[in-house]
Amino acid sequence: MSIKQANKLIEDKDDTMNKKIFGLKNPASMLTVFILFAATLLASPMVLAAVHNFSIAANTLPNGQLGYALVGNSAEAVIPGPALFVKQGDTVQVTLTNNTAVEVGFSVPGLTNTNTAKAKPGQTQNYTVLAKKAGAYVYHGNGKELLGLFGALVVDKASGPIDSYVNEDGSITPVTQSDLDKQFVLFMVGSTFWGTEISGNGAQQKPLWANPNLGAVENDIVRFHILSVGPGHTFHLHAHRWLKTGTNTVIDTKLLNEGSDSHTFTIKAGSGVGAGDWQYHCHLFSHMEAGMHGSFKVDPVGGDGASVVGASPYGRILLGTKDEPGLVTFEITDEPASWVRSARGDAIVGLPYDIKTKSLEVMSPGSSVNFVMSDTNGVHTISSLLWPTGAQHMPFNQTDPYRGGGIVKLDTPGLYVFTCKVHPFMFSAVIVDDPNTEGLDLGNPEADYKIDLVTGITGLPTSSDLAVRLLQTFFIATSPSNWKDYSSGLWNVKFPTLPVRISGAPFGNITAGGLAAPLTILNVTDAPLSLGSVPVPPGVGEVWVDTQFEKTSGKYKPGTITVIDATNWTVKRKIALPEINMNNPHNMWPNRDQSIIYATQWFDNKLTLINRENGQLIKNIQVGYSPSHVMTLPSTDDLTIAINGENGISIMPAGTTTVTKMMPTQAHGHTAASPHGHWVSADGSKIITPNINTGDVGIYAADGDIQSRTATGQGAPGAHPIAIGLMPDSSKVFATNLLHHSLSVLNGNTGALTKTINLIADYNPINGTFADNDGNGEIAVGVLPIQSPISPDGKSLVIAAMGGQIVIVDPITETIVKMLPCDPGCHGANFGAKQGGGYYAYVTSKFSNRLAVVDPDPNGDGNLSDAKIAGYISLVDNGSNAKDDTVSGLPGFGGQGVLAIPNIYNGWVQNLPENWKSGLTAAQRDPIGAH
Amino acid sequence: MSFQPNQLCCVMRFSENFTAASPIPHKPLLKSTTAIFILILTMSFLIIEKSFAAEHVIQMTAEEAQDDGFGNKLLAYKMLSHTVDGTPITDRYSPIATIPGPTIVLTEGDTVKLTLLNAIPGDPPAAGLSKQVSVHVHGVHYNILSDGTLKVINRHLDEGAGVGPEDTFVTYEYEWNVARGTAGTWPYHDHNFESHNGSENRGLFGAVIVNPAASSTPINSYSLAKEYVLYIGDDAFWGMEIDGVSKKQSKHGVNPSLDAAKDTDVRFHLIAMGTDIHKFALNGYKWFDPGTYNLINQIAIGPLEKHVFIIRAKSSTQYMDDNFSNKLLGMIGSFNVH
Repeated sequence: MSIKQANKLIEDKDDTMNKKIFGLKNPASMLTVFILFAATLLASPMVLAAVHNFSIAANTLPNGQLGYALVGNSAEAVIPGPALFVKQGDTVQVTLTNNTAVEVGFSVPGLTNTNTAKAKPGQTQNYTVLAKKAGAYVYHGNGKELLGLFGALVVDKASGPIDSYVNEDGSITPVTQSDLDKQFVLFMVGSTFWGTEISGNGAQQKPLWANPNLGAVENDIVRFHILSVGPGHTFHLHAHRWLKTGTNTVIDTKLLNEGSDSHTFTIKAGSGVGAGDWQYHCHLFSHMEAGMHGSFKVDPVGGDGASVVGASPYGRILLGTKDEPGLVTFEITDEPASWVRSARGDAIVGLPYDIKTKSLEVMSPGSSVNFVMSDTNGVHTISSLLWPTGAQHMPFNQTDPYRGGGIVKLDTPGLYVFTCKVHPFMFSAVIVDDPNTEGLDLGNPEADYKIDLVTGITGLPTSSDLAVRLLQTFFIATSPSNWKDYSSGLWNVKFPTLPVRISGAPFGNITAGGLAAPLTILNVTDAPLSLGSVPVPPGVGEVWVDTQFEKTSGKYKPGTITVIDATNWTVKRKIALPEINMNNPHNMWPNRDQSIIYATQWFDNKLTLINRENGQLIKNIQVGYSPSHVMTLPSTDDLTIAINGENGISIMPAGTTTVTKMMPTQAHGHTAASPHGHWVSADGSKIITPNINTGDVGIYAADGDIQSRTATGQGAPGAHPIAIGLMPDSSKVFATNLLHHSLSVLNGNTGALTKTINLIADYNPINGTFADNDGNGEIAVGVLPIQSPISPDGKSLVIAAMGGQIVIVDPITETIVKMLPCDPGCHGANFGAKQGGGYYAYVTSKFSNRLAVVDPDPNGDGNLSDAKIAGYISLVDNGSNAKDDTVSGLPGFGGQGVLAIPNIYNGWVQNLPENWKSGLTAAQRDPIGAH
Repeated sequence: MSFQPNQLCCVMRFSENFTAASPIPHKPLLKSTTAIFILILTMSFLIIEKSFAAEHVIQMTAEEAQDDGFGNKLLAYKMLSHTVDGTPITDRYSPIATIPGPTIVLTEGDTVKLTLLNAIPGDPPAAGLSKQVSVHVHGVHYNILSDGTLKVINRHLDEGAGVGPEDTFVTYEYEWNVARGTAGTWPYHDHNFESHNGSENRGLFGAVIVNPAASSTPINSYSLAKEYVLYIGDDAFWGMEIDGVSKKQSKHGVNPSLDAAKDTDVRFHLIAMGTDIHKFALNGYKWFDPGTYNLINQIAIGPLEKHVFIIRAKSSTQYMDDNFSNKLLGMIGSFNVH
């Protein structure tokens, strides 16, 4: 049965006698009502409160979202859930049947509810809500509401006018229920509107789905119920005015606060302004950019005033059930690999095509993709990485990171990959498939199946080696079963059996002449994995590694810190901090005497202080959204924390636990720089940031003065500078550009860009061949370069490149010296002391569970040509190491920030207490002194 | 700095856009003789109201603002000319483009013809033309051709000056009907630059103050010594001060230090902008939440909401945004009472 029929049913019920008495919708409640009626008459003739019985089911929709349905004759679940209309003083009794796979409740913030329990899958719970106060209330599922389990409970005054509107002459007209021509419920959730059209008397309801165009005829009296769950919004409707609730103050924009909130108002459509397509939207700028808008179509008198439905969870998507514009929905999460998880979750992996990842969806042209930040404590952007050549509405991008989500309609067939600019491995992909072509289209069929990249590359054939590598990167990053688990001894990479359609003649590994070919051709089967031997000689002290993806049983969020004893290369301790649900620990730095480790929680807003000796929590401190890197100023020991999700560097004075200021990384009113992996000068006078969002390197005085900002993209967009390496005398700044695969060299005093080293010069992106194109005598590439520290003596620079390479650069001659192998997702690098003199660079990888130890100059002759991997260390719990929680998944994975103790960088090493200095050579204690 | 424990003495009740139909009694503030006087005044205005409706002709530009020293530029509006029934009042405004843009003060019943010129440098197909900019105003009445949006939104045309996705105009004229019932403070902003979201996040915003028609409110019985427009951005207040007598607009810019003479009445016009939800506070002062008798000392305000209140200046203090990050970023300014 269709929604329309279901609504008709409701309407029919309303035509029964109970409507005349109480406006009840459920005839089953009539007996109760009459008994209650009789009882109340006896008890108190003044009270005429009714009892409403609603039988509601929570169901899973075809796109994996959840929704409420009114039970009876297979009524469909809708988003928002059915609007419930009652009068003040009434009692609302809800019988909830949970047909979903998760626990679902029925919570009505603001009203008394007798039952806070949730119904387990397949079970039923009863709830009684007392509608004591007039207003619109959110009812929701008490846990999964951002996925669709929300609806409106409208409580109107028992008698008299229910609202007022402002006329074109400023006079105010009260309205009763019977004056209303229609009503709309609009929920603001994530960055999407979810609408329902309702008849004036509340009897007929029609789902309008996501970002609908609401219809009315000029002079219609229209009542809006705006509601929200989750992060806050402001609602604005063009050219219309209404009353601030309970006052005669006229407004046209209304804040809906975080949590759950509502605002009900009534307007006369087109009053004083006439017919037109009047936009309604959230007025938070990030949400405007996220696509959070629709139209209020006011037809001239005589028009039909019909609404146009938006994108539907039942519509034209893979396994959709209805022939209407569809909607796929991704949740943004803090969960490793599934950072952008289809609302279908495991179900999408198990579909006939064996998609292998929860981060890929398939739909038809004209359908929309919807993102909701429902399971994350951080801030993010929804940003295009690549799209079919010529696609409309591309690139999709939010300027600044924020909470919410995004929604965009995709009309052109082909592959769309989205990422988060703050956390650039948070991939998701949508294949918009032209039903008339064989196989799934990876590019635009009308542009030879080519794609465009956000970095300015246009018309890249999908058969090219680069396109294939990007595809491989996507399927490895988003599927942990494809990660390199050295404790298993074998590596398997499995791609979906999806038949795909790519450009022209094939290159790389994909064959079959550009026609449909299954991606499984790229599979890796039972490749032997050997951990490798440990380095000789040993290192000094400890190595702390953010195993950011490792899961433990005592907490919901992922991430541990793995402490390695560098003197014997064994895991010494695992720190999960379940008491604070430590969330994705990303980067660390020690205090002066090495007794405290500062750790950032990159998917959260906290900095954590940890006792180095015993691994225990000292304090968890709010510092700003998505803090990435932390360093001290060697001069004052004050902390500098790059606030990757915002627009500054938080400063926490030494010895304190409160941020006192956030140094802006940009002038007032300018785009948030969103700094990531900053570095500090040895004298503590300068803070140098790679500004991922604005594509530049900023040099800031320690007091906050902006000294220089230098673009690193050489005129092309999307360079994404992500980490800084600084010469120990601060003379030169090096910055890796993640998406341009390049290394910028800047003058440390002026910030002037002096050189850009292309890290993929030796690579042919079309045919995948390697040659010494830059003529430096080595074939060396660094695809997607990330951390790039310079050794404390200023003699070597080591780049961890996510494409699986380690690149050794001579920072003096500014040339690439060598390429060494790295694991997939190669990410973090930092130097520590090698026993007896010299340095090791410790290199981590996200999608493996071993630490690589690089010796950039084994014989210490200053010539880096003999740079080598000195050895590897397992990051897996060895059963005997100390721990504060039990590893439950992804053992040792997610290597990102890495820190050697003692901290031997120039400027800091001199501040070490004697007990730490004594383990170092004279040269290590004074790395740029006269030796 | 010390404050009186109870600032009730200095608080004005003020309904931002009071209407004749208001159920809130005027009594607490009006002596009976004044009330009678106002009643008579009201009746006379009802008769001759039409003759007070002014016709505003406004020309504004949208320009690039000075860069940040590193080549990054914001955008800003500038008043070229403003006449009221033919009389120029342009000297009230800054001669250079400012953020926020010019504050346009109107009265219920007025009409406005606003012409926007695009003075943003670009790669023009014709001289003086670049990516389209517009003025989208809140609060007042206008028909769909003065919405200041792109055709993709309004289904008619690209309603701005410069090159839009579909239409190209050297200038664009907007007509506003400042009807009864539109009293209040409203934002105006670009809606068209580079996308249908416009560039309100890059400096193209300003305020319209619609004063109530004299007949409908006691507001004009107060003499406001100063008015302050404070746009609350994501990292700064963008403000200006308007002198109550000369009506001159000054102190444009970031976190301005506002001045007031002791025991004078001043009006704050807050409008939020950008993405963050703010918590405005003016330490030591309380005021009525517009339209209510609720005394408040802080207000949560979301992007493009407005909040207007009058206080009597008693002692110097600071205004600030109490949002976690914005406070740390230094969103604080002085309110100096002399």
